[in-house]
Amino acid sequence: MPELNIIYNFIAIILPFEVLQMRFMQQALLGMLLLAPMSALVGVQVVNFRMAFFADAISHSAFTGVAIGLILAISPRWTMPLFGLLVGLAIMYSQRRSLLSNDTIIGVFFSGIVAFGLAVVSRNGNVARDVQSFLYGDILTIGDKDIISMLALLIVLIVFQTIGYNRMLFIGISPVLAKAHRVRVASYQYIYSGLLALVIILSVRAVGVLLVTAMLIVPAAAARNFAKTAGGMLWWALLISIISALIGLIVSAQPWARTASGATVVLIAFLWFLVSAVYAHLGGERSRT
Amino acid sequence: MTEISLSANKTANTSSTPMVKFEDITVVLGGNTILDNVTASVPKGSSTAIVGPNGAGKTTLLMALLGQIPYKGKISIASAESGDQPRIGYVPQRLNFDRAMPLTVMEFMVMGVQRMPLWFGVRNKNYSKAMSLLSMVKLDGLEKRKIGVLSGGEIQKLLLALALGQNPDLLVLDEPAAGVDYQGESVFCELLEGLRQKHGFTQLMVSHDLATVTYHATHVICMNKKVAAEGKPEDVLTNETLKAVFGIHMGLVDSNALPKCRSNCTKANCCGDNENA
Repeated sequence: MPELNIIYNFIAIILPFEVLQMRFMQQALLGMLLLAPMSALVGVQVVNFRMAFFADAISHSAFTGVAIGLILAISPRWTMPLFGLLVGLAIMYSQRRSLLSNDTIIGVFFSGIVAFGLAVVSRNGNVARDVQSFLYGDILTIGDKDIISMLALLIVLIVFQTIGYNRMLFIGISPVLAKAHRVRVASYQYIYSGLLALVIILSVRAVGVLLVTAMLIVPAAAARNFAKTAGGMLWWALLISIISALIGLIVSAQPWARTASGATVVLIAFLWFLVSAVYAHLGGERSRT
Repeated sequence: MTEISLSANKTANTSSTPMVKFEDITVVLGGNTILDNVTASVPKGSSTAIVGPNGAGKTTLLMALLGQIPYKGKISIASAESGDQPRIGYVPQRLNFDRAMPLTVMEFMVMGVQRMPLWFGVRNKNYSKAMSLLSMVKLDGLEKRKIGVLSGGEIQKLLLALALGQNPDLLVLDEPAAGVDYQGESVFCELLEGLRQKHGFTQLMVSHDLATVTYHATHVICMNKKVAAEGKPEDVLTNETLKAVFGIHMGLVDSNALPKCRSNCTKANCCGDNENA
């Protein structure tokens, strides 16, 4: 894919770190720089709508997506996102229809899905190695195909947040009120869940099941502390996630660190959050006096 | 339902076309009958209150009106004077949002109308319209505040401003003063009354506070799963009806001690006033 080579060479020039002169590191960085804004873009609503548990359920379904691929002898490249999408839409469907609280519905789905995945995988000893890569992820193994699909999804997300950001805020405040104001609540909710599911499944490759939710909520939670407006929150989330991805990946590859890249990125984002919490606390003090 | 229905509702209904007509509304959720053949109407230009005890299905009736839940029966809403689709403004009972969300009062006011995403800011046109709505409910000066720091009373006014932005023909309020102290409640009701007189919308409000209702309503629908009585407050809120709807302890309240209605309809004839005059 020659068109990506230009970008890789560009990365090597503008970031003249020794570690970034290798092709797999350039791919990893580009992957992170696409994933970070994606998770920031959907993460703003994950935080404001308290959907962290929803995100957890989908990330765990990635595992079951692979199991289904094994059964049907289809590449997990297809079964993972398709199954994740299905789970996201199914949770949203039952949430919209049921009187049970969200947590209960998601918890029930979650248990069933994880149990199914484990049951299938436990029959097949060869997959044990894959299980570990699912838990921790590995951004260093992503290829050009992954990068192209990330790029496509990022563009779709930018379009969605341009058209739907205000209405999504409204739905987050109150779906009933939004509907009374002629907002197409159901369409927005389904489209958002679908996009969220796809972002999560793509992120599982990079940072692993254990840290996907962190990628979504940590930058957005920090952004919330810094932002004075709902509009500003999106910019802060983008800024924090991109800087964390950049610093995290470079630090993880340093000879003195040699840490897992996903975990390092999340750690840097967490540092941002600590700073933001102090900032918010001081800001709160100021407004009280 | 029909056997305890008062004759008052007949006088009320015949005088003009109602703004909203509920016909045989039945709602069953999870095997429980929440509304049982509710038939009632909201006269045009009136300030109508739905009263009843907790669990009487008052909010459910509003949700059916707003198309939020499936129901059996028929709800007809009169078209606007211009012949257009009627516009409905809705003020919910409470907002269950995350208070840490950095949404400002101004953003709250424009999020339903502005196309340009809020991460590019608020357009001037929308800004000035929102400011005039905020001043109508006396919230000007708070536009830069985050909504998470507003008091219960301020949130109620903000929700009212948002609903008024719809330029409503029908304003629907669900327990608008719940969680607000008595003084806040009466301020809110005065404000609402003034706005209704000025803009001429029909108002439909759910309440369990009988004093507020009799003070501010021109038409009352008294219900507990079924409609027990409907009509002018002084005709409906009799000791017998109250006892039937609210149960024994409400019988201790003497309906003669309730304040007299002091609101007027904005449309002539809507509550049968002329016939009684």
